[in-house]
Amino acid sequence: MSVTYIDAIREAQEHLLRDDPRVFLYGQDIAAFGGAFKATKGLSEMFPGRVIDAPISEDAMAGMAIGAALEGMRPIVEMQFADFSSIAFNQIVNHAATHFYRTGMPVPITMRLPSGGTAGSGPFHSQSMETIYAHYPGVVVVTPATVADAYSMLIESVKLDDPVIYCEHKFLYRWLKAQSFKGDGLPIGQARITRMGRHATVVTYSAMVHEAVRAAERLQQESGWEIEVVDLRSVKPLDIDTVLASVARTGRLLALGEAFPWGGVTAEVVARVVADGFHLLEAPPMRLNARDTPVPYHPKLWAAHRPTPESICDSLRKLLSY
Amino acid sequence: MTENEGSNNQKSGADYVRAMFAAMITARVLENKLSSLYKAGKIVGGVYLGKGQEAVSAALGAALIPGKDIFAPLIRDQAGRTAFGEPLIDCARAYLGSALGPMRGRDGNIHRGRPLEGMLAMISHLGSAVSVVAGALFAKRLKGELLGCVGATCVGDGATSTGAFHEGLNLAAVEKLPLIVIIADNQFAYSTPTSSQYACHDLVDRAKGYGVAGHSVDGTDFLACAAVIGDAVKRARDGDGPQLIVAKLLRLSGHGEHDDGSYVPAEIKQSHYGRDCLDVAEMQLLEYGILTKEVIASMREIAATDVQAAVAQAQQEPTPDPYQEVWHAWSTERFYSENS
Amino acid sequence: MPRVAIIMPQLGESIAEATVVRLLVKPGDAVLTDQEVIEVETNKATMGVTALCSGILEELRAEEGVSYTVGTILGILEVTEEEVTRTGVDTIEALEAKFLQSATEESQQKGEQNLHFAVDGDGYEEAAPPQIVPTVKGLSVPTGTMGAHYISPRMRARMDEMGLREADLSAIVGSGAGGRVTVDDLERFLDYIQTWPSSNASPMRLAVADAMRRSWTRPLATVGTSVGLDLLLNHRREQTKKPGLTLYLLRAFAIALTEQPAVAGFLIGAKVVHPRSFDIGVAVAVEDGVLVPVIRKVNEKSLSELVQEYDDLVDRARRRRLTEADTKGGIATVTNFGTFGLTWGTPIPLPNETLILGIGAGVKKPVWSERLSAFYPATEADLEMTFDHRVVDGGGAGLLLRRIVDLLQKPVDL
Repeated sequence: MSVTYIDAIREAQEHLLRDDPRVFLYGQDIAAFGGAFKATKGLSEMFPGRVIDAPISEDAMAGMAIGAALEGMRPIVEMQFADFSSIAFNQIVNHAATHFYRTGMPVPITMRLPSGGTAGSGPFHSQSMETIYAHYPGVVVVTPATVADAYSMLIESVKLDDPVIYCEHKFLYRWLKAQSFKGDGLPIGQARITRMGRHATVVTYSAMVHEAVRAAERLQQESGWEIEVVDLRSVKPLDIDTVLASVARTGRLLALGEAFPWGGVTAEVVARVVADGFHLLEAPPMRLNARDTPVPYHPKLWAAHRPTPESICDSLRKLLSY
Repeated sequence: MTENEGSNNQKSGADYVRAMFAAMITARVLENKLSSLYKAGKIVGGVYLGKGQEAVSAALGAALIPGKDIFAPLIRDQAGRTAFGEPLIDCARAYLGSALGPMRGRDGNIHRGRPLEGMLAMISHLGSAVSVVAGALFAKRLKGELLGCVGATCVGDGATSTGAFHEGLNLAAVEKLPLIVIIADNQFAYSTPTSSQYACHDLVDRAKGYGVAGHSVDGTDFLACAAVIGDAVKRARDGDGPQLIVAKLLRLSGHGEHDDGSYVPAEIKQSHYGRDCLDVAEMQLLEYGILTKEVIASMREIAATDVQAAVAQAQQEPTPDPYQEVWHAWSTERFYSENS
Repeated sequence: MPRVAIIMPQLGESIAEATVVRLLVKPGDAVLTDQEVIEVETNKATMGVTALCSGILEELRAEEGVSYTVGTILGILEVTEEEVTRTGVDTIEALEAKFLQSATEESQQKGEQNLHFAVDGDGYEEAAPPQIVPTVKGLSVPTGTMGAHYISPRMRARMDEMGLREADLSAIVGSGAGGRVTVDDLERFLDYIQTWPSSNASPMRLAVADAMRRSWTRPLATVGTSVGLDLLLNHRREQTKKPGLTLYLLRAFAIALTEQPAVAGFLIGAKVVHPRSFDIGVAVAVEDGVLVPVIRKVNEKSLSELVQEYDDLVDRARRRRLTEADTKGGIATVTNFGTFGLTWGTPIPLPNETLILGIGAGVKKPVWSERLSAFYPATEADLEMTFDHRVVDGGGAGLLLRRIVDLLQKPVDL
C-alpha cells in the first residue's frame, strides 16, 4: 500500500483540521468538489464550515486569510494554480510579509501554490513562483520534493507564525509514491543530502531533485562519477551551510531549478557559494534552469524548456571535465 | 485604548454625536499641529490630513465598539481613529519618529495601527484593507464570536477603481459579513477629478451590483452623517450584511501637506460641499441644544492642551537606533542567521 | 534665554530647496506657536513656514526671492524656558549637544554606515558615463592552461594548506580543460610521490628555493663575452694584500654601474626604483646552499681598502655567521663559478635585484696577434651577465658588460 505526494497534502490538511481548531481551508472549488487536484477531497464533509469555496478573487482570498490570521486563525489558502497567485501578490508581499516587521504582530497564513510544469499545461498553468516570493523579506518559501516532506512541511508551515508560501509540485502529485508519510523529521530551514557523492554537487529543490537523482544514476553507470544531490527543501530560509559543506567535499557546483533563469534561487545559491566558499571551487559554478521564454504548451517543446536528466547530465559532464 | 472602554454597546443619540464632535475637534487641532510641525521642518516624510472628512470618519469611529469591532482606517481618518480610542501619543510618535511609537520608526505617519486591539495598520495599496477586514470578521464567525460585531474601513473615490476593492467587497457580500465600507467621495484622488475615476452616475449605484445595502450621505452634514452611518453600522451589527456608504464631500487640504491643492477650482471650493463639517457640526449642536458655546470652547482648549502635550512628549523621546535594530522580518527566531 | 531655530522644511519627497516669497514677520516681533512666519514656494506649491513655539523673533536670516536648501536656518526665536518645556521643542543648544553626542556615539560604532541619502547644499551632478569597450567576451574557460598555469580557487587553497608553489607542480600532467592541472591531478601526484624515498629539505635549501622561484617569475636573459685576465693577474701578483678575482670584478662592476645606473633599476608596476648606494653582493657557496653578503659602497673604496672587508664577509658567510644586515640592500650580485672549475653558466639574480654578473674559470688559450702575426698564449675567462629583460635590453646589458671588460684591462685604476 503506497501513498502519493497529493495524498500527503490531503492527509496533512486533515490532520491539521482535526488537531487545530484555528485551521480552516479557503480556495476555489475546494469544498464539495474537493479541489482542482483533489487535494481537499472529502474534507468539507468531515469538517463542515471549515473548508470553504472562495470566489475567483485571489487578492481578496489572500487578504481574507491575512485578516483571519490577525484574528488568531491559521488559514490555509489553496491557489488553484501557482500562476494565479500573481493576482494575490500585493496582499502577500506588501500586507502579510511586512506586517510583523512593521507592527510586531505576525501573520500566520499558509498559501498553497500548485507549482511547476506538467505536459500540455502551457504558459499560465506551469509557473514556478518561489523566486518571486523569496525575494521579499518576511516570507518563508518551502518547496517539498518528497512525500514525507510534503506532509511534514505543510504541518510545520501552518504551525509557523510567519507567512509561508508552500510550493507543491503538480508533476509530483500522483507520480511520486512512498510507503508512508513518515520522514526524517528535518525542520524547515534545513536542507537534505538526498544522494551522497564526491565529484560534483547538484543543489536543487522540488521536482528537480528527482531529475537530478536520475541524472546522477546515469552518470554513475556511464562513467563512475559520484554526484551528490542537495535538496534545499526550503528556498527561504536558505540552508547555505549544508550547500557549502557539500561543495567542500566535491569542489564542483551545479545549481538546478525549474524556474526561469534570470535571478532566482539558482543565482542566489551560486552567489552565496562564490562569496562564502570561493576557496572550495575547483570549477566555475554552473546554473541550469528553464529557458527564458514562457512555458510552452506542446509536450515536445515543454520537455525541452525545463531541465531534464539529459540536459542535467550534459551540464554535469561539462562541469566534471573542467 | 482608553476611551469607551467597558462599553459593549454601540453609542447612540446625544452620547454618540458628542463623542463624534469631541473626536472631530481633537482631530482638527491635532492635524493643524501636524501641518504646522511639517512646515517647521520637524516631520520626516509626508503629512496627510483628513480636513473636511471629520464628520464621516468620526461617525464611523464613534459607532464602533473598541475591543470588539475591527476598524481599518485609511489616510484621512484621524477623527475616526480618535473616536475609536487611539491615543494621541500614537499619532505624535509615528509622525515624529519616536522609537516608542506603535511602529517604532519602522513605518510612519498614517500607516500606524494597533492590530492586536482591532485597529489595523494600513498599507499604501488602496482597497487592500477591504478583504482583510472581511477576513477578520470571517474568523470571528468561525470562532463563534461574530454575533454583535462589525468591521469597517474607509476608502476614497480613487480606491473604488482598484481590483482589490472590488474583490474584497464582493467576497464580503458572498459571505454576508457585517462589513461597513465608507467611500469618502471627496472629488479628487490626489489631483484626478472623479470624472476620470468612474463613469457611473453615483458610486452608491454599485451597491446593488454587489448585492449589498447602499447608503448616501452628505459628508459635510454632521447630523446626517451620524444618522446614516450610525444606522448602517447598527444594521450590519444586526445581521443585515455588508453596508456600502457613499459620503459626498470635498477634501479641504492638498493630498498631503506638500500639495497646496491649487488644481481644485474655486467654484468647487465655494460650492455646498466646500463648507467645513466642523462649522456645520457646531451650528447643529448649538441649534439642537446638545452642546453650549462654553462647552465647545472648553473642548477646544482641552484638545489644544492634550495635543501640545503629546507632541512635546514625542519630540523628546528616543529615535530608533540602527545599531540596535533587529534586522529581520521573520518572527521565527531560529531563522535568524547571517546566512539564511 | 533659549533660542529656537526656524528652518526650511522638507516640503515634499523630492524637494531639496524652496524660495522665500514673503517675510511675514520682522525681528523684534512677537511670534505665536504654529504662526506662519515666512511664505515659501516650491515647484509644487506655495506654503507658510511655521514657528514651533511662541517667542520673540531675534534674527531673520532669510531674504525674499532667495532659495534656501532644506534644513537651512531661516530665523531664530528667543523663547522662555517654560515655553520650551510646554512644546517639547529642541533649542539650538540642545540640537548642537545632540549632534555632538550622536557624532561621538557613531564614531564609536564599528564602520561607517550611510543611514540616509545625503542631501547637501551642492546637490549631486552625475558624471558623464565613460565609454567602455569590453575586451573579453565569452566563457571564462582558461586558455593556454597547460600545466599549473591556471589554478582554481580550490587548488590554490589546497596548495596553501600543503605549502606548495606553482613550481612544485611542474611534474604534473594536467587532465582538466585545456590541460590544466586539477585538484585531483594534484592529489594523485601527492599520492604518487609518497611511494618514493624522501627527506626533509634543509632550511637553507628552502630559502634558496624560495628566492630562486620568486626571481624566476621574471623574464630573465643572459649575455656573455670573454675577458683577458693576464693584466689583472699580473697586477694581483704585485699586491701585498692580494685581492681575489671576484673582488676585481666587484670593483669593475660598481664603477661601470655608477656610470650607467639606470641598468640596475628595479621595476615595480609603472615605476623604476633606482639604486640609493652601490652596494654589491657576492655569492658564497655554503653547505646545501648559497649566501650573498653585501659589500657597501663598492664604488667609493679602493681595491686594497676592500680586501679586508671582503675576506671578513666571505669568511663569516662560510661559517654561517652573517647577520641579517650583512645580506640586505644589495643592488646586484657577483658570482664566481669558476671556483667550481666551470667555464660558463647562466646565473640567476636575487629576486630583489635586476642584475647578476658571473665569471667562469680562467683558461689558457692561443690568441692571434695581428701585430706579431702569430698566436700567443693568453688567460681568458667567460663573463656572463643575467638581467631582468623588463628593465634592460640586450644592448644596454652588453654595453655594461663591455665597460666591465675594459675596466678589467686597467687593473691599476681599480
